[in-house]
Amino acid sequence: MLFNTGTFAIFFIIVFISYWLFLKNSVKWQNLFLLVASYVFYGWWDWRFLSLIFLSSLSDYLIALKIDAPIKPKSAKIWVTISIAINLIMLGFFKYYNFFVDSFIDLFALFDVELSKRSLNIILPVGISFYTFQTMSYTIDVYRKQLKATRDFVSFFAFVSFFPQLVAGPIERASNLLGQFYIKRQFDYEKSAIAMRQILWGLFQKVVVADNVGVVVNQIFDNYQQQSGFSLILGAMLFSFQIYGDFAGYSNIAVGVARLLGFQLMQNFQSPYFSQNITEIWRRWHISLSTWLRDYLYTPLAIKTRNWGSFGIAFSTMLTFLLCGLWHGAAWKFVIFGAFHGIALTYDIFTKKTRKKWRKQIHQKIYDPISILLTFSYWTFTLIIFRAQSAKDAFIYLKSIINKPLFTPDDLSLAGLKLTMVGIVVFFMAFDYMGRNKTFAIETTGKPWPNIGRFAFYAFLVFLIFLFFQTDGDAFIYFQF
Amino acid sequence: MNQQTLLSELSEIFNEVLDKEGIVLKPDTHAGDIEEWDSLTHIQLIVAIEKHYKIRFTSLEIQHWKNVGDICQSILDKTM
Repeated sequence: MLFNTGTFAIFFIIVFISYWLFLKNSVKWQNLFLLVASYVFYGWWDWRFLSLIFLSSLSDYLIALKIDAPIKPKSAKIWVTISIAINLIMLGFFKYYNFFVDSFIDLFALFDVELSKRSLNIILPVGISFYTFQTMSYTIDVYRKQLKATRDFVSFFAFVSFFPQLVAGPIERASNLLGQFYIKRQFDYEKSAIAMRQILWGLFQKVVVADNVGVVVNQIFDNYQQQSGFSLILGAMLFSFQIYGDFAGYSNIAVGVARLLGFQLMQNFQSPYFSQNITEIWRRWHISLSTWLRDYLYTPLAIKTRNWGSFGIAFSTMLTFLLCGLWHGAAWKFVIFGAFHGIALTYDIFTKKTRKKWRKQIHQKIYDPISILLTFSYWTFTLIIFRAQSAKDAFIYLKSIINKPLFTPDDLSLAGLKLTMVGIVVFFMAFDYMGRNKTFAIETTGKPWPNIGRFAFYAFLVFLIFLFFQTDGDAFIYFQF
Repeated sequence: MNQQTLLSELSEIFNEVLDKEGIVLKPDTHAGDIEEWDSLTHIQLIVAIEKHYKIRFTSLEIQHWKNVGDICQSILDKTM
């Protein structure tokens, strides 16, 4: 069930009315209802995979209770390892089995050893990378004594499967979300109005920006060998805005929908394209994943290797980003994507003091915009690897940017469409910049205006959404992860 | 060694590692209070503290810390 469909709209209206009208006096019934609604939401796509969410939730619910009971530290360590193993085996089988088997066969083929192909026809369960990370972090937090294990079965299962953020995040921490299931939620008009604004902006990002820019991006990437250098650069840049609109749009709708039900989810994006280095981008892009990786992968690794000096830091950073790349998909292109980010972050770490000096010497008014531009260019370059069909295609795409003529007469054929897309992106980025310190771009837009002006602005966004609505709009890109 | 002495010694270590002046730590100071105290410098701080007091923290111990007070307690547990 996609957020930008009529089915979801009907589903949510039913949930919203029942939740606030019939169940408002009982937190327990509300939680049970949310659990059932979440399983219906997920089961709509494929009910068979509900068993995976159930298994992941059950194992972490029970194991966390075991760890929290008075047991020896060694036993607690064994239990947390079992919990991580269950989740990673599930994720590994459904997402990476074919990738590892194929890579293994290819490796042997390099030495002229032919192995028979044993790939399986495995369907990737939607959102598996998101909810396994969410439930794993709960058990690890209990193991680290940062959290008490819950005995509230329904709340915990609802926390793992909470439908607004189940399939594409934000990857919530139990320390933020689980506790919200225990307390009474009151319908709040002010908060609901903010939620509606956030959903509206999320729909704009997805329907107007991502789906439309995506049409041009697909045309360029699908026929990249026939494109001019300019078209290839434009295609790559537009993809940067497509993926941002797509994913940040989903997150905004998710946070807004949760807000309408009285829950506060974490902020997942904060104007990442105005960052001055790749480290900063990762602090502002998919924040729930980057902080997850920081807390559960990078920091433990860096602590373990702290006596290796600078090499330990570089090693932990590289490994974290190689796995971050692999988290995005079971293909070598994602590993390479991660490697380029690992390299950039390592560069950032070791040049921090030098860059500070440069900023002083050059003057920040010149240094800052150049940094933003260079950071965005590097980001866009890595996204070519991300978007191309394979690592090989990405390489040819990049080579073509240099080898092909900069302009060809064909560039004029879609000039109008391309110009419209650039216009949409400029509009999007202008609001993104103005709202860069807010939890979402238009959080306070129009607040000081008279009501009529504010509503005219919202109506204009709604008009754009209907005007640019693509009946064959793509599913959210991050669903495949 | 009491907590006050420890706090002033730790403040010196923080100033040196974070390349800053005037950091005065309190038991409730946490990473969010000092801009330069991020996931990278956190590791550098741990190494510097371990070297200064000739002690070794366990990974679990480090991950339990929520603020400077917790760091002080870990040091006191190991040096007293």
